[in-house]
Amino acid sequence: MIGSNTTEAHPVLALRIKKAVRNGATLVVADPRKIWLTKLAKRHLQLRPGTDVWLLNAMMHTILTEGLQDEDFIRDHTEDFDAVREVVMRYTPEEAEKVTGVPAEAIRATAREYASERHAGIFYTLGITEHACGVDNIWSLANLVLMTGHLGYESTGLNALRGQNNVQGLNDSGANPTYLPGYQSVDDPEIRAKFASVWGGEVPATPGYRLDQMISGLHDGRIKALYLIGENPAQTEPNVHHVEEGLGNLEFLISQDLFLNETSRDHANVVFPASSFAEKDGTFTNTERRVNLVRTAVPPPGNARVDREIVIAMAKALGADWPEYPDAESVWNELAGLAPNWAGITYARLEQEGIQWPCVDSDDPGTPFLHAPRPARPNGRGKFFPVEWQPPIEQPDSEYPLVLSTGRTLYHYNSATMTMREAGILDKQEDPFFEISPEDASNLGLADGDWARLVSRRGELEARAQIGDRVYPGLVWMALHFAQARVNWLTHDVGDPLIGTPEYKVSAVRVERVPA
Amino acid sequence: MVEFTLDGRPATASEGELLVHAAARQGVFIPTLCHDDKLEPYGGCRMCVVDVEGAPRPMPACATRVAPGMVVSTNGSTTDFRRTLTEMLLTEHLDPNPGGRPNELTDLAQELGAEAPFILPDAKREPYEDRNKLMGYEPDSCILCNRCVRYTQEVMQCSALSLEGRGGEARIVPTWGKSWLDTECELCGGCLSVCPTGALHEKFLTGADVEESALTKVKTTCTFCGVGCQLDLNVDPATDRIVKVTSEPHYVSNEGNLCVKGRFSFNFVHHPDRLTEPLVRGEDGELHPATWEQALQVAADGIKGVIARHGTQAVGFLASARLTNEENYLIQKLARNGVGTNSVHSCEAT
Ligand code: SF4
Ligand code: SF4
Ligand code: SF4
Ligand code: FES
Repeated sequence: MIGSNTTEAHPVLALRIKKAVRNGATLVVADPRKIWLTKLAKRHLQLRPGTDVWLLNAMMHTILTEGLQDEDFIRDHTEDFDAVREVVMRYTPEEAEKVTGVPAEAIRATAREYASERHAGIFYTLGITEHACGVDNIWSLANLVLMTGHLGYESTGLNALRGQNNVQGLNDSGANPTYLPGYQSVDDPEIRAKFASVWGGEVPATPGYRLDQMISGLHDGRIKALYLIGENPAQTEPNVHHVEEGLGNLEFLISQDLFLNETSRDHANVVFPASSFAEKDGTFTNTERRVNLVRTAVPPPGNARVDREIVIAMAKALGADWPEYPDAESVWNELAGLAPNWAGITYARLEQEGIQWPCVDSDDPGTPFLHAPRPARPNGRGKFFPVEWQPPIEQPDSEYPLVLSTGRTLYHYNSATMTMREAGILDKQEDPFFEISPEDASNLGLADGDWARLVSRRGELEARAQIGDRVYPGLVWMALHFAQARVNWLTHDVGDPLIGTPEYKVSAVRVERVPA
Repeated sequence: MVEFTLDGRPATASEGELLVHAAARQGVFIPTLCHDDKLEPYGGCRMCVVDVEGAPRPMPACATRVAPGMVVSTNGSTTDFRRTLTEMLLTEHLDPNPGGRPNELTDLAQELGAEAPFILPDAKREPYEDRNKLMGYEPDSCILCNRCVRYTQEVMQCSALSLEGRGGEARIVPTWGKSWLDTECELCGGCLSVCPTGALHEKFLTGADVEESALTKVKTTCTFCGVGCQLDLNVDPATDRIVKVTSEPHYVSNEGNLCVKGRFSFNFVHHPDRLTEPLVRGEDGELHPATWEQALQVAADGIKGVIARHGTQAVGFLASARLTNEENYLIQKLARNGVGTNSVHSCEAT
């Protein structure tokens, strides 16, 4: 498990891990914090935030120097292996120990165990991706998987645990500037023509903006209108103050959501009252690529409407010529008809239980292992991609001496507009808090539960100190759920150059006592 | 494959299979109480005992693995034993329904025609109050089967619950006599989901103690994380409100397990802060309620105005991981086909 606080972020999946360990599986946890799973782990690699590439390259260094790689797999199913060999040979476990703080022997032992066990899988989440080097981290993990041939059969692979319920489906269904539904490239004229013929009317060829480009577009004037559906960027985006200023520059903002939120209250021109999952039919796709049905249990409150109807009404109001879409199923059928990997999935089949895509026709039972029998690339070969370590963009210094890392907790969900309304759950966790080591706390004269101020170059907030050894000296950690103390006031928005995922995980801060 | 004899007929079991499962596959259902498929074999309550030829005493079917040549009888002396055992349990079972959950003991009693012959004079237990708002415990319903404690130990692997005291004093309590909130408990509700009598039960915000059998169950997918747990929203048809959330052991991905969010975070659906009318910002800078016609008109005019002044590239869409595939599909279609821009993305792209 790397960068995944599974018991809090994916609690029910964590039950499987607990069970596996009970049945004799070996668990190694790589995480800057002493998270719950470290209790079950054979080994905890407590690396410094942002040093994952060093850890992984040093593991590969060990595998190659000790000859533990899967030569057959590398020869038959991969390409560009030598490029990676050349790079990782420069990353020795001893040097890695200096950068990551993880003992060289622990790195070696983990590498040996991973390489020599046939059923060895890697799981990761946002702890790995929410870095400026997020894509590098994933390439590194992929190199490790390919080098050892841990791919395409049970209990192996590189498993991304999707944060929110339908992140997988969001991307699958084309809410993405570069892909039409089913990961079909907007750049491909034939693909555009296919969609145009079903939709009627051209599909624009001009590239769209990614999230980070839209946010910067608020400032440089490229973006003048935003339509936000179930989104609250004024809380969840990094460097929130900057985002709020940008929203103020908009000429027009539509918000479609369950509740008024920080963004819509101050900036929206129109607010559409929308529906919760309990009020609609449709599908969510989980982290296993399993498409599951969502069914209507209760009607929306008052004059709120299901999101499908609102979007259709907007299309009509804008003069688009769309079919009637009497129900969610009719929308699914159009989507599945345009995206070959979903073509075999129908509501009738989902009635019984979910199906894992790709599922290309009505006889296809779905695909539990994506890369079986060989890596799912056009030439059938997994590509190695050498990765050099990039230090985190913001380093602690004398003015901001602590590293701040952020994440989620069990009891809340993102900006918590939903969970903060659950009285029974608030009993467990209401006030904003941050985790700090006993050493740092005593240097600052903080006692457990004291209010303290966290200050970064971008902003400040107050929260209660939770003192414990989950974090090591020099590291503080805070959850992003609290509206009155938004940790994204502190984080910075310089993201991964390739996909623009912001570096939520590493910022420099200082902690100050709040005089009582 | 293992061959054995069940109630005089030849039967087969797979290697190491529990007798209770092998029998069920042959259509012979042996009643159980302390057994739960999620948990390791336990054999504590003796409800499932059967006669095994050559064994000195009846054996628990839930904890006995079929051996080759075993001769098993489920309908001999053990039938009476089961009825007597059920009657004994009923003598202390004062509250059959504290939280409206199904009760396996009273169901079984009905099936076996068992009734409490008397009520034990010291059956009444000290009530248990816990300051958490989600889960309650009724000692007068508890049959001390230990399923809840085993769930915490084996599945959650936490130490939040213990069986404390002996004899008439025995009860299940959060460890060290604290509140659930002060233990390792993560409020997942797993312990109550395995409780056969409903002694552990949900506390309700509204509509307390509605019988689960009177609720409409709608199977759906959890809205909180990528595990995609399958669950049943239990709706009170009289009020159209979700009363509680349950799940079934045969549901794929989660096998009937849920976490605190999936099981208890549903009241937001009915929260008074929910938006119930479209809102439009007026001349005064405030948001005011509007009809759908007005709101859609203002929204469409606003977008058209921006397109007219700055072109289609000036319009952006942010979709959401909370929405369904169908909704996200329509949103990107609205961006590309309705407005003419590829700028559709989300805050949750990872
Ligand atoms: S609710 Fe969950 S965590 Fe709490 S005691 Fe029960 S099983 Fe354990
Ligand atoms: S509370 Fe329920 S599960 Fe726990 S011992 Fe009592 S009857 Fe069994
Ligand atoms: S019940 Fe918990 S683990 Fe399951 S999908 Fe919902 S939030 Fe995730
Ligand atoms: S069910 Fe078998 S002993 Fe309790």
